[in-house]
Parts: sequence; C-alpha cells; structure tokens
Amino acid sequence: MSSFGSYVRERRERLKASDATFSVRQLAVRIGVEPSFLSKVERGETPPPSEEKVKALAIELGEDPDVLLALAGKVSSDLQEAIRKRPELFAAVIRELKDVPDQAVLRIVREVRDGKW
Amino acid sequence: MIELNHDSLRFRFPEVSERAEVHIEFQRTLRIPDDGKEYPLPAGLGRFPLRHVDDFPHRAPARWLEHGGVMLPMYQSEALWINFSGDYPFAVKVAAGKINAVTGKPWSNGLNRGPQDYVVVPEQPWLDGYCVKKGIIRQFVAMPLGAGYSAEEQITGEAEHGGIQIIAYPMKRKVYEQRFSARIADHDRGMTLGTPGLFLARGLDMGLGAGGRMRQEIYDDPFDFSDWDTDNASRCFAHLANSLMWREITGEAPPTTPLTTREYAKHGIPWFGYYADGEAVQGSKILDGIKSVFDLGKSKGEIPLPENESVVIDHVVELRKGLAKGQVREGAF
Repeated sequence: MSSFGSYVRERRERLKASDATFSVRQLAVRIGVEPSFLSKVERGETPPPSEEKVKALAIELGEDPDVLLALAGKVSSDLQEAIRKRPELFAAVIRELKDVPDQAVLRIVREVRDGKW
Repeated sequence: MIELNHDSLRFRFPEVSERAEVHIEFQRTLRIPDDGKEYPLPAGLGRFPLRHVDDFPHRAPARWLEHGGVMLPMYQSEALWINFSGDYPFAVKVAAGKINAVTGKPWSNGLNRGPQDYVVVPEQPWLDGYCVKKGIIRQFVAMPLGAGYSAEEQITGEAEHGGIQIIAYPMKRKVYEQRFSARIADHDRGMTLGTPGLFLARGLDMGLGAGGRMRQEIYDDPFDFSDWDTDNASRCFAHLANSLMWREITGEAPPTTPLTTREYAKHGIPWFGYYADGEAVQGSKILDGIKSVFDLGKSKGEIPLPENESVVIDHVVELRKGLAKGQVREGAF
C-alpha cells in the first residue's frame, strides 16, 4: 500500500466519520475522477493522480497541497517553473538549506511588507 | 509576521507562541440580491488569488507600493467574504477603505471594546460584510473607487483608500495557556467551482460598497479585554484590483467571472445558516445609514448590479459551532 493512498484514505475516513459526503463516491465526484479510480489510488493499486487532482484532493481534505504532492512523489509545477527559471540560484538555495532547522529556514521566509497607510 | 502561502495570509507570532497563528483568505462568492430581504450565507467558491504588490514595482500603482501588502482581482459588483482559520485566539480588526467593518468608524490602530471594533477568531469563522444591525450584515460588494458607492466614499466623502485593511492581535501567551488546553476545530463552507457570467468594469482601484442583507452575527468578545496582546500586532493592506486590470499588472489571467444567482441555483449549490451560542454585537448606526449599492444606483439613475432579482432559497445547510473541518460540506453538484 502506498503511503499516499493510505494517507488519503485515513484522512477521508476520519472526515467521513462525521460527514457522509466524504464517501469515496462523493469525494471522487467533487474532485472529478471515477470512484473506482479513487478507490484504487487509496489502496495503492494505481499511482497517485495528476498534480491538479492531488491539489483538489488536498483542498477537499483540508490538507496542505504541497504536503500531499510530496507524498505523491510530486513537486508543484509552480515550484518546478521557479527552479527552471533560475536553476543555479535555486539549486544552491535548496542544497544550502536542506539540513537547516525549520526555525532557521523560516527566518528567510518572505514577509508581506507593511508600508505607510 | 505575515506570509503569503497558497493565496492565504498567514499571520504568525512566533515571539508570542509557536501556536499563535491565524490564516486569513478572501473567498469568492455569490453576490446576494440587494433587495432589502435577508439572505442566508452563500457558499465560498474558491480563494481569490493574492500577490505581493512588491512583485510588480513597475506596474502596480505607486500608492499601492507605498502601502505595501498584497493585491487581489475583483470584478465590479463581485462579492467577497473573509475567512478566518486557526485555533489560537486572535482579535482581528477589519476595515474597507479604512472604514471599520464592525463600527463604521475611521481606521485607528489598537483595539476598542466600547463598542467592540474587532472580531474574535476562532469564534468568528468568517466576515461577509458591514455590520449594520445586530445579526445582520450588508455584503461586501466591489465597486470602482471614485464612483461613490463604497462605504468609505459615503461616510468620508472621499475616495482615498479603497482596499481592505486587516490587523491581527494574538491572545497573550500566558492567558492562552491558562484558558486553553485544546481548541475546537475550525469550520468550512468552501466549495471549488467556477462558471462564466458577464461583465463590465471601469477604473483600476476598487472599494467595497454595501450590498444585500445577510444573516450573520458578529460575536461579542467572550474574553477579557486585557487578554489581548496589544504589544504584538501585524497588519496588511489588501488592494483590490479591477479584474480586467489584473492581467496588465500581473500578466496573469483574471479569475472566471462571478457566478450569477441563476447559475448558483442551477448547480444546486446550497446556502448556509450558522449557529453558535455567543452573544452578537449591536450593528453600527453609521453603517446602517449608508445606502446600499442598488439604492444608491437607483437614485443616480444607474444600474450598478446586473441580475439583482430576488431569489427563493430552497436549500440551507445548517452549520453549528464545534463541527470538524470539512464536516459541513455538501457534495454532489
């Protein structure tokens, strides 16, 4: 069983416990796939779906799209595009920061600037 | 600090507590009819895209760059609601055109409780408009700044600021630790959908006028006023770009045109009622005194709101405080 599939199933089942609209059938309809396909994905019998569908799943399940994409072995296309645009710079940044603790990385996260109102 | 992540503003105060975080996003939604009737809550139809104004130093208006913050695209007469999520308590003050959405008074830094000029998150899961009466808001509806429709222009007589202003104050860490061990999950009335409609626009900068009446309580602060950490606050100016100008500034396609009430009904999208035990604040007499977009248009001989016919509400999903996230969803449409 894939970690992606079991993660999705676990989250969905948890939501379903209090909301019947999180059945495989209804969730599949909402993200625009066949119920049998979603069921196979959950059981790990087929690879994770496209980026677009993984993102739709993340929104439905209340998960972070990047986290769910990573579990699916994918990287969001906007991130890929950012790296492709400036490959040397971003390759260096990622290699440099890959082992740095979260708190230290967060220090370089870009803030929304507050100006003069 | 405020970060922008997946079109959501993340207000975080690591210096107060690792848990002191609230996410604020702007939801696209149906503009309810501005016909004097009171409507339930329409669904969220996805987040508005948000961009740093600093990313467009050559094309964003100079005044926006001076204010800093973010921008989002809105069509003329499109409605919006503000979604708050997180379980750490925050006092959040919201203004449009620097007119406080709860009191109708001009922007001021700091919090006030007599009358209360902020909402308390997570008690307040969302804010859909100007608080005009106890339990009634008038929906936020985008209109071109300068056309006279915004609450700002009606109250101050000037079209100076536009946009939306937000400042968030976390609860003091010590108070939080004393009061809470575990918090309830947040609520969700989101949908993901987009269908075409039709449109006309003018001008670049938008302000928020007062649209149709909606049943929504602005909850009274259940905490002590001294519980708020007024030494720590983050604020953000969200500029409203006319959708048709969005491409010129960002190079990105604007979102699809907003859903009409007819399309909303055709897709079977439900309406929502929200019930919680909290006391509601009184509405603002100042805000109740401004003219709605439709009424002002009528007196000016203009038709600012296309498709403003009354709607018969036949499907209301009742949401109650304390439901788990996602629990309130309605499927199959």
